[in-house]
Amino acid sequence: MNYPVWQLDFFGGGLLIAAIAVFHVYISHFAVGGGLFLVLAERKAHREGNPAIMEYVRRHARFFLLVTMVAGGITGVGIWFTIALLNPAATSVLIHTFVFAWAAEWVFFVIEIVALFLYYYTFGRLSRKHHLLIGWIYFGAAWMSLFIINGIIDFMLTPGSWPQDQNFWSGFFNPTFWPALAFRSFFALLIAGLFGFVTATWSKDARLRLTMTRYAALWLLLPFALFIASGYWYMTALPAELRELVFQRMPMISYYLNGFLLLSPVLVLGGLLLAIRMPASITRPMAVLMLVIGLIYMGCFEFIREGGRRPYIISNYMYSNSIFTRDLEQINQEGVLSRAKWSRHKTITPDNRLAAGRELYNILCLSCHAVDGPMHNIRPLTANFTPSGLDAMLSGMATIHPTMPPYAGTAQERFALATYLAYGLHGNQDPAKTTPIQAKEVELPPFDQEQDDYVLLAWSTTGMHSLSDGFDFWALQPPASTIRAQLIRRGETPELVSEEVNLLYRLEPAFLDPAARSSFWENAQSLFAASPADNIGLSGSPLQGMMSPEEGSFTAEQLPILPYPDGGGFDPYPMVTIEARDPAGRVLATTRVAAPVSTEMGCYQCHGGQWRVDKRAGLSAETAANVLAIHDRLSQTELLAAAEQGAPRSCRSCHPARLDSDGGDGQLLSLSASIHGFHAHFLRERGAGACGLCHPSSPDGASQSFRGVHDAIGLDCTSCHGQLEDHALGLLKAEALEGKARAAALAKGLAPQTVENPDEIVARQPWVNQPDCLNCHQEFEQPETDTSFNQWTAAEDQLYRNRSDESSALFCQACHAAAHGEYPAANDYGQLVHNLQPLQYQGNTLPLGSELNCALCHTVAMEDEMHHPNMLREFRNQ
Amino acid sequence: MDPATLIPTPDVIPVHWGWFQLLLLVTFFMHILLMNVMVGTAFIAAVSHFYRDGGSSPATTAISEKLPFAIAFAVNFGVAPLLFLQVLYGHFIYTSSILMAVFWLWIIAMVIAAYYLAYIYKYKYLQLNKGRAILTGLITLLLLLVGFLFSNNITMMLQPETWARYLERPNGLLLNLADPSLWPRYLHFMCSAVAVGGMAIALFFSYKRHKGESGLQPWIRYGCSWFGYATFANFWIGAWFAGSLPRGLITMDSANGVFLLIFLISAIITAVFAVVLALREQVLPACSALLGTLALMVLVRDRLRSAYLQPWFAPDELTVQASYSPLIIFLLFFVFGIALIVWMLRLTWKNLDSEEVSS
Repeated sequence: MNYPVWQLDFFGGGLLIAAIAVFHVYISHFAVGGGLFLVLAERKAHREGNPAIMEYVRRHARFFLLVTMVAGGITGVGIWFTIALLNPAATSVLIHTFVFAWAAEWVFFVIEIVALFLYYYTFGRLSRKHHLLIGWIYFGAAWMSLFIINGIIDFMLTPGSWPQDQNFWSGFFNPTFWPALAFRSFFALLIAGLFGFVTATWSKDARLRLTMTRYAALWLLLPFALFIASGYWYMTALPAELRELVFQRMPMISYYLNGFLLLSPVLVLGGLLLAIRMPASITRPMAVLMLVIGLIYMGCFEFIREGGRRPYIISNYMYSNSIFTRDLEQINQEGVLSRAKWSRHKTITPDNRLAAGRELYNILCLSCHAVDGPMHNIRPLTANFTPSGLDAMLSGMATIHPTMPPYAGTAQERFALATYLAYGLHGNQDPAKTTPIQAKEVELPPFDQEQDDYVLLAWSTTGMHSLSDGFDFWALQPPASTIRAQLIRRGETPELVSEEVNLLYRLEPAFLDPAARSSFWENAQSLFAASPADNIGLSGSPLQGMMSPEEGSFTAEQLPILPYPDGGGFDPYPMVTIEARDPAGRVLATTRVAAPVSTEMGCYQCHGGQWRVDKRAGLSAETAANVLAIHDRLSQTELLAAAEQGAPRSCRSCHPARLDSDGGDGQLLSLSASIHGFHAHFLRERGAGACGLCHPSSPDGASQSFRGVHDAIGLDCTSCHGQLEDHALGLLKAEALEGKARAAALAKGLAPQTVENPDEIVARQPWVNQPDCLNCHQEFEQPETDTSFNQWTAAEDQLYRNRSDESSALFCQACHAAAHGEYPAANDYGQLVHNLQPLQYQGNTLPLGSELNCALCHTVAMEDEMHHPNMLREFRNQ
Repeated sequence: MDPATLIPTPDVIPVHWGWFQLLLLVTFFMHILLMNVMVGTAFIAAVSHFYRDGGSSPATTAISEKLPFAIAFAVNFGVAPLLFLQVLYGHFIYTSSILMAVFWLWIIAMVIAAYYLAYIYKYKYLQLNKGRAILTGLITLLLLLVGFLFSNNITMMLQPETWARYLERPNGLLLNLADPSLWPRYLHFMCSAVAVGGMAIALFFSYKRHKGESGLQPWIRYGCSWFGYATFANFWIGAWFAGSLPRGLITMDSANGVFLLIFLISAIITAVFAVVLALREQVLPACSALLGTLALMVLVRDRLRSAYLQPWFAPDELTVQASYSPLIIFLLFFVFGIALIVWMLRLTWKNLDSEEVSS
């Protein structure tokens, strides 16, 4: 924000610093341990009176001088140059805070150089005592350099109380100073042994070669136990939260941890092997190999330490992208570009969005993510996203990915960044409004107000059955649409007929072979532990047949309807024709009703792939597989592998549908709590737009499930269900009350939108505690409010779909239609498909019997409001 | 665009800025001296080898032995002034470094290459023969390039009005080539290096003569000549440099301008003395005058920086968040370090056998 950003693509993401630092760190530890190696080896030569060893030490000293002073010394300056280029703000903090530590380190650097030159160039020219003394001075100065740098490096990981008191000493002697110093000191000894192998095995004299190789092996092996112990000390000195983060919650770090753990015995074993008498042709390559392994070993440690520091460059003080933690809130309000001194675009317009996005990338992301380079390449990480999907991802990344800093900047900037990443890098675009959608033509069954004796009402119990159809990978729900019907014999006192009559249902012919368009039946056994024949539902229902009579109504349970007609395309409103016949087969009444069903789940916007069907719906294999891959990564499952081996799982086989469900793992969150609790982090503060990304409710989508009268008067999903955060918090709260830790963890990062604080959120169970119509329609009067969050039905039988009128005769849905599609309903599919029965029986789209049309069933006008109060009036929202 | 809006906000400093200014000037003096010896002797060796078709001379032999030391200490004594420069002017030097980041980072590779080549020159001197010209030529070229990049950065950091170019080219490939004072400034420094390199040669052979070796007078003269003629040339380059400075940069209306002029005139006077003494082959007096000139020129350079930055910044604007204990500890280490180094050198000198130190 304060400095210009060196725009790197391939070389971004810290490649330069990694490339230079690994070598420097390795050599600089050699510069410390190797100093002790020199003086002790020289003492050994004196003690044993062995001139061959002394000559070896002289030779090794020259090698040491050339490696440490040239490559080591200059790359040290190189690291300094590099960090100042890549992260000038953090470098400036380190320089200004620790200037006198750096200056003192420089003093020791001078002493090192003078002492090493004197040591090497006075071999055999100074008395034993003086020569060794100079060697000891070199080692002391080198170790003091380590002492000082160690304080600064560990300050970045564990600054202790420094962020509060800004005191030099509390930052320098930080909580991991001493264990890290011990760890690095022992590491330096091991490395001295590894370099010792190289010079020892290159000795021409076989005897000397063996002697010195064994001597070098001692340097590797003797301190090893202390080295490991100090590593453990280092680990335990980390603050508990950081320790958990590093060792449990960062999947990337586990590679380096495993590398470190794996290479430890390899090094010991290599050291032991090299101590065996072998020809130089074997020991020399082995020595080089050991040196390389040591480099990787050190690299693993440094990557763990650096990785553990994420998302900070100075823990709890400055994020990896140079943003001070204290500035975050203000940046979120004012914006990055307007605050950044070196931004070219201060405001975002449609014309500059892409360029401004790139600029935001430079400021916010480039310090850790290369474009097409080897370090944290951003391209594969963003390949799966549309701009909106990535925008969502950015908004929640810090909660789910603990290594990422929270997004900084305004929502507008976030979208510009997402546009650069998704569109600029990949050409991915947001879905356009699904067009064209044509009004669906349906033949209206006849009804004669004067002649007909029966009124047949039918409805889908859910406003739209929403399901994912990547059945080869996973399934949220099976295809299972339920149609309910009531047959009324007209008269002054109408009767509900449920005996001596058969209700036949028949799905629209084009939808009768869903098995040809879906792999549900191939995977039903694995997904739902059932093997229905093709085109038969899980409960045994075919797509045409006889409805089951219940008291006063008829039901066709769990019809396996999919929105894919023969001939291709997507139609979320397949029609079901229902006929009432007497036992003799005479048709008493006929009607039609849509069985709304949709596979329009926008998972692909974040999970890659595309719509599977007709560019508007369906879950592609690529999308479904990515969902599992991410689940596997975040939750340590192996679902993708299982699916690829033909054993896909239903989500509910682990995540129960409800708290009291039998299925699933009782320790896990319910599916609803889990899926909403997780995704809410990415879809904060987006109103109903958040719902429409996964549910088929988007007004621009292919299903437009929210089509009822509430849509017409301007309400949306959040009016009744609350914002996504609230919705998720309610679900998570119920789980947290059951003692599920994950629920509390997910809830932690979510702020309630409708109420002031989380305590006010009412815990709720999915599929049980739902919005109650009477929250707003109190006493069936005109509502005084249009929001109803936090008041829920107490039990399942109070749900709208299960409720009936005050006479306990008619289901609410019989006259008002299913939730989300209440009469009068309309969307791009027209009016007819949604209001077929009002049109059939009344010639209008209003609830049945409204506008004082009691005669529809009663054949005469009525004065009693027997179905519910306030019904005898003109319909308000025509 | 107002360049002031681009200048980053500096961080707070722990002690009064004067401490850093003092440390910056002292350590920079050491660095520039060592750098001059390094570049100058490398240059002289290269010229010598080119003229002699790679042939050896006592001067090149001496240079081959000492060049790695010169590089080691030139780099080492570059660290401290760069540190103190960053404390006072970090928000300028970080910025200009980023603008020329690609070139700036190449410095590391070039110094490593020059350093290792210098060791090859040292250890393979006898075997090299004709290769010496190419090798020393390469070393000199690398070091001259490094110097050129430093000149670019150090001038670009002083000119925020040139920074907005970054907004069009953020890829770290900007240099300060449009600055008319860049080339004379660079040449002034490099010419000074050649002069100091010559003086170093004269001093070395003068020391050996003092130790009793004979027949060295031609090589003392050789060094003095290089010093004298290079310094003579540098008067003209210096004048060119002064003339290339922006009009109105140096005025006598401010104390800064007055001091600059006083330092500059003093430096020219001591330089004239140094040249005259050198041409008379009075090495030690000439050397003293040279050191005086260098010290004064360091002060001139410092005042020139103040003049450049005057519209934008002065170190006394930095906020002090006082914390003196680290300074005290550093000063203790500093004194201890100097004492230890002196003690080690004396110990070695006193106890070394009578032979010359060599590999």
